[in-house]
Amino acid sequence: MTLLSGPPHVVTAGVDLLREALDAQAVPTTPVDWRPPLPGTAGALARVLADPRRRAANERAVHRLTSSRPLLVGVRRASELLDLPQPMFLHAGPPLDWERASGPMRGALIGAMLLEGYALAEEDARARLESGAVRLEPCHHHRTVGPMAGVVSPSMWMFEVRDDVHEGVAYCSLNEGLGRVLRYGAYGPEVLDRLGWMDRVLGPVLSAAVELAGPIDLRALAAQALQMGDELHNRNRAATSLLLRELAPYVVNAAPGHAAEVLRFVGGNDHFFLNAAMAAAKVSADAARDVPGSSLVVAMARNGTDFGVQVSGLGDRWFTGPAGVPDGLYLGAYGPADANPDIGDSTITETAGLGGFAMAAAPAIVRFVGGEVADAVAATRSMYEITLAEHPAYQIPALGFRGTPVGIDVTLVARTGLLPVVNTGIAGRVAGTGQVGAGLVSPPVEAFTSALLALAESALDPFDQ
Amino acid sequence: MTVGTRARRPHVHATGAASTAVRPLLDAPRRAARVLAAFPAGAYLQVRTDREPSVIALLASGATRLPNAVLLAGEPPRLTVGDDASVGDGAVRLGRLSLRASRWWDPAPPLGEADPAALREAAAGLTAGEPALAGEPAVELLASGCASGRLLDVLTAAERLVGLGPGLTPSGDDVLAGLMVTLRLLGAATGAGRAVWLADWLAATVTYDARTRTTPLSATLLHCAALGQASPEVAAVLRALTGRGPLEPALRRLHRLGHTSGSDLAQGIGIGARSVLSFCPSGSFRSREYA
Amino acid sequence: MSSAVVVRAGVYHDSVTLMRVSRALSDLPGMDVALVAMATELNLAMARDLGFDPPPAGPADLLVALRGQDVAAAERELDRLLSALSSARGSSGSSSYGLAGAEGPPPRTTRSAAARAGEDAGVALISVPGEHVLPEAVDAVEAGLDVMIFSDGVPVWQEVLLKRLAAEHGVLVMGPDCGTAVIAGVGLGFANVLRPGPVGVVAASGTGAQQVTSLLDLAGVGVRHVLGVGGRDLSREVGGLSAVRALRLLDEDPATELIVLVSKPPDPEVARAVQEVVESLRTPVVPALTGRDDLTDAAERVLRALGTPVPAWPSWPAPARRPPKPGAVRGLYAGGTLCAEAAAIAASGPGAASASGAAPGSWSGSESGSEAGAGTGSGEASGRGSGEFVDFGDDAYTRGRAHPLIDPALRLDALARVGPGEVALLDVVLGHGADPDPAASLAPAVARCPAAAVVVALVGTEGDPQGLHRQAAAFREAGASVFVSNAQAARYARDLR
Repeated sequence: MTLLSGPPHVVTAGVDLLREALDAQAVPTTPVDWRPPLPGTAGALARVLADPRRRAANERAVHRLTSSRPLLVGVRRASELLDLPQPMFLHAGPPLDWERASGPMRGALIGAMLLEGYALAEEDARARLESGAVRLEPCHHHRTVGPMAGVVSPSMWMFEVRDDVHEGVAYCSLNEGLGRVLRYGAYGPEVLDRLGWMDRVLGPVLSAAVELAGPIDLRALAAQALQMGDELHNRNRAATSLLLRELAPYVVNAAPGHAAEVLRFVGGNDHFFLNAAMAAAKVSADAARDVPGSSLVVAMARNGTDFGVQVSGLGDRWFTGPAGVPDGLYLGAYGPADANPDIGDSTITETAGLGGFAMAAAPAIVRFVGGEVADAVAATRSMYEITLAEHPAYQIPALGFRGTPVGIDVTLVARTGLLPVVNTGIAGRVAGTGQVGAGLVSPPVEAFTSALLALAESALDPFDQ
Repeated sequence: MTVGTRARRPHVHATGAASTAVRPLLDAPRRAARVLAAFPAGAYLQVRTDREPSVIALLASGATRLPNAVLLAGEPPRLTVGDDASVGDGAVRLGRLSLRASRWWDPAPPLGEADPAALREAAAGLTAGEPALAGEPAVELLASGCASGRLLDVLTAAERLVGLGPGLTPSGDDVLAGLMVTLRLLGAATGAGRAVWLADWLAATVTYDARTRTTPLSATLLHCAALGQASPEVAAVLRALTGRGPLEPALRRLHRLGHTSGSDLAQGIGIGARSVLSFCPSGSFRSREYA
Repeated sequence: MSSAVVVRAGVYHDSVTLMRVSRALSDLPGMDVALVAMATELNLAMARDLGFDPPPAGPADLLVALRGQDVAAAERELDRLLSALSSARGSSGSSSYGLAGAEGPPPRTTRSAAARAGEDAGVALISVPGEHVLPEAVDAVEAGLDVMIFSDGVPVWQEVLLKRLAAEHGVLVMGPDCGTAVIAGVGLGFANVLRPGPVGVVAASGTGAQQVTSLLDLAGVGVRHVLGVGGRDLSREVGGLSAVRALRLLDEDPATELIVLVSKPPDPEVARAVQEVVESLRTPVVPALTGRDDLTDAAERVLRALGTPVPAWPSWPAPARRPPKPGAVRGLYAGGTLCAEAAAIAASGPGAASASGAAPGSWSGSESGSEAGAGTGSGEASGRGSGEFVDFGDDAYTRGRAHPLIDPALRLDALARVGPGEVALLDVVLGHGADPDPAASLAPAVARCPAAAVVVALVGTEGDPQGLHRQAAAFREAGASVFVSNAQAARYARDLR
């Protein structure tokens, strides 16, 4: 409808009195529940929104994010896939050194030292890590993501995920299960025993099975799982079952002698698919990187100390704030006092429109994270306010098959003050404890505001032609 | 919301948007009226007057804007058929409710200049839908009379059609209303003087004894149509026929009206458009002048 | 007497709403002070000045400072008012995510609201504080909506940017600082209830447009659309981007038979460019240049162009209470253009018929015409006589408070301070958005005003919610002379003996 052809429907933002005047005229309105942006961001918002590249850049970036087609193409050792000169480990989140590392991060690093044989005992491992003899780099700098501590050492087996459309590749380690596991900072004998079994049996068998099966379309699996009650971060039960269904015959063919124990292990671990989902999310988000002028978030990650974000238009720079302590339910006798600040690269799922952003698809986990079904629906709905698109493949039946909110825009976060909803597991504060609970966590505001200020500094002048 | 601590007044004041077609009723001294029909989305009020319009449609703001409507800003009041009311001195009064217009709209917005060639092309896209009187001999007589300009046929058919059909707005009236509005507005837009002349004859014939031949609401709507006044759905189709806006969505919205009202109106528009084309000065496109 | 000062974190309401809430609380029996405002530095300082000790808070928090006999009752009333507001807005209540209705939580940005309104949406009306306008306006333009920006205080570079962006997207940006628009009868911002008709208006001055269209309505001539463009549109920096687009839109509108262009005399270069566009239009354009010809003259020229007789404009002159000092006119205005017009008339000699010698009706004519119109926006547009004119609608007076068309406080003070030998001249503008009953507060102040005489320019229509004649009667009863033509009011005030 053109402006002058009839009485308009009016979108109103601001003084309520003016909307009331329209109501009195029987004019239909859609009012904005407007509030001032995050403190100190008004000037930066104006500069970023005035950047002549912004709109096209964001369209391009979010299109790349949502059009990627992640395929599971292999299971291989980290040492084959990654450049990991000895001794060097990858870890979750933005860059970190031993001194600032939290309990579970330290525990996982100690475990990796023992696993790789870089140290024979805990004290020895601790001393070597303290001395700085071991290089630590973020997974994200190596096309990799890792859940919780996210420690990747050379001998570990990794999912290898390729994006056919944008020709990217990303990796994630294999999931060890719940409870006392390395990624939650446990490094006791049972942890190392399990990792040893994964090294000897699980990795090689899965590797052979995937090779026999050929590429597995993770996007299609995730899309189906969303319609079966998963949100692909805190609930992966359906997706794990779907993956198992795909792989089972090939596991039997590849290793009849080990098939039962491998299938039992995968089938007994509801989170097994999470790591594949993370690699899929990572390869999609990486496709959206480095679009000049784009305010799209391409990574959110925590190292147990800091929460960091990366933005498409700002290259590999991290913008960080202190990681918060999740709010949720605790296992057994554990309580909030035992919780470590937020940790892990698994927020890559939220970055790609899954996890907390797809909560409305997973009513079953709502009680687990301490809420009601209506909260889950409201959480997803509120994320449409800060995202650029609706995912074309990931749909939510309860919302009439609307696509999940995807593509966090830093400017929309600053304007609304709405922070990404993140589902997460909770690690114990003390090295060696393992998982103590699961819940929701709020990212620190300053990670987003500092990214916005950096975007403003790099914005082009709209009048500079 | 109203922030204030003012004492309660005996009247509840409400506002709405009114068609200028009912402005004479509102501006005149107060007259008695009664509720003619009441339904969830509003009510029809009949004003005690010898002249037209005599029926006002009080409608919720989402309802179809009939040319005799006042759209209510808030919820429609709960009314019962036969309730007393009054209209005039600037307001509609219903019990404790006092309703004033806070904006006005024109139910007969001029279409501007239209190129007959463009009209011919656009008119090909007019689809009939499923009018209630499809195949009715009087409608066919009306159509052939309009196409050939035989006034006697047109008026004979019109006399047969007034009030023909069931309901508050009989189908025959809807066909005639669509036709009269089209002849008047499209005729003026294309410079087809003969179409406007035909509209004048039809208007005189149809409104002469409409009050005794059809429902009070339909008589008022025929009166409005005689002056070129219509709902925005009709105006949008006519605008599209002149090349200002897409026809297909406008038609879709028109066909959604009422039970068969939309299709009946569309049937009248179709007859009118073909008639206008047959009267158009061939190939001429007047340049716009300002007098 | 007790007092309370609390901060409610994260509760936001716009300043006009909070002003109305504060006023309602102040009116409670036994209330001494009721300040309900966002906790900006300015408002925190005000609370401290009032003797409160506010806790630390920021501009996104609500500050409540109460003092009176029953503070608890005031707080309960506050809760009631605020919850009424939340439900009216359809907001989700206290929890951060709240209950999810069919629609979910209310949209938080114009982008999101436009998406929800879908293809129905036509126009965005933006009245957030000036420094926050750009994101909302960009959202609207990129969603293909025409935008009216009511807010002032938007930097000029942002205005230019928005108007260029609007051209790319084929939409119209009205404003910033656009007080009025009427689209197919729908009044946006401060707008009068006008009968539909053949006239289209392009206005760089809101109250100027309201004066012209109200007079046309009184003469029985209807108005099709009023497209505001903002007071800076015809400046050199902005270059008339929106005026040109609005002129073309009206020219393409088949129902618009005549266009009125209301503006201060524009930048000469812009005037030439606009003149070229005007000449290319099929629809005739009548210019109404404030400061060069008065608005009443312009309305009369429109009537003559349409062949409609010019009526005698309603007026109710009253004798002076005592002889004023000659020419001692004190103008207390809410409308900038009306203020400039009156100041120019008061400054011209008694008996002079109009503000300047420039030929009325010429658009880009002589540049040597009176520049009195340029006084608008400077806050104090002093006439050349002994009169003094204040535009209370200027930025300098509206920072941190609502426009005088809504909040009469400053003008009430000023009326009480007019000298006994002076003539007080004020405008009262009716219509949507304006004070629902301006005479309720202003008429008693007029009656008490120590001035030798009070003259009111009453701009509005009988259809306005406040009712032109009801308001006129109230001011007449208070002893004021009332004119519907601002120019006539100014001349009357100037020539009073």
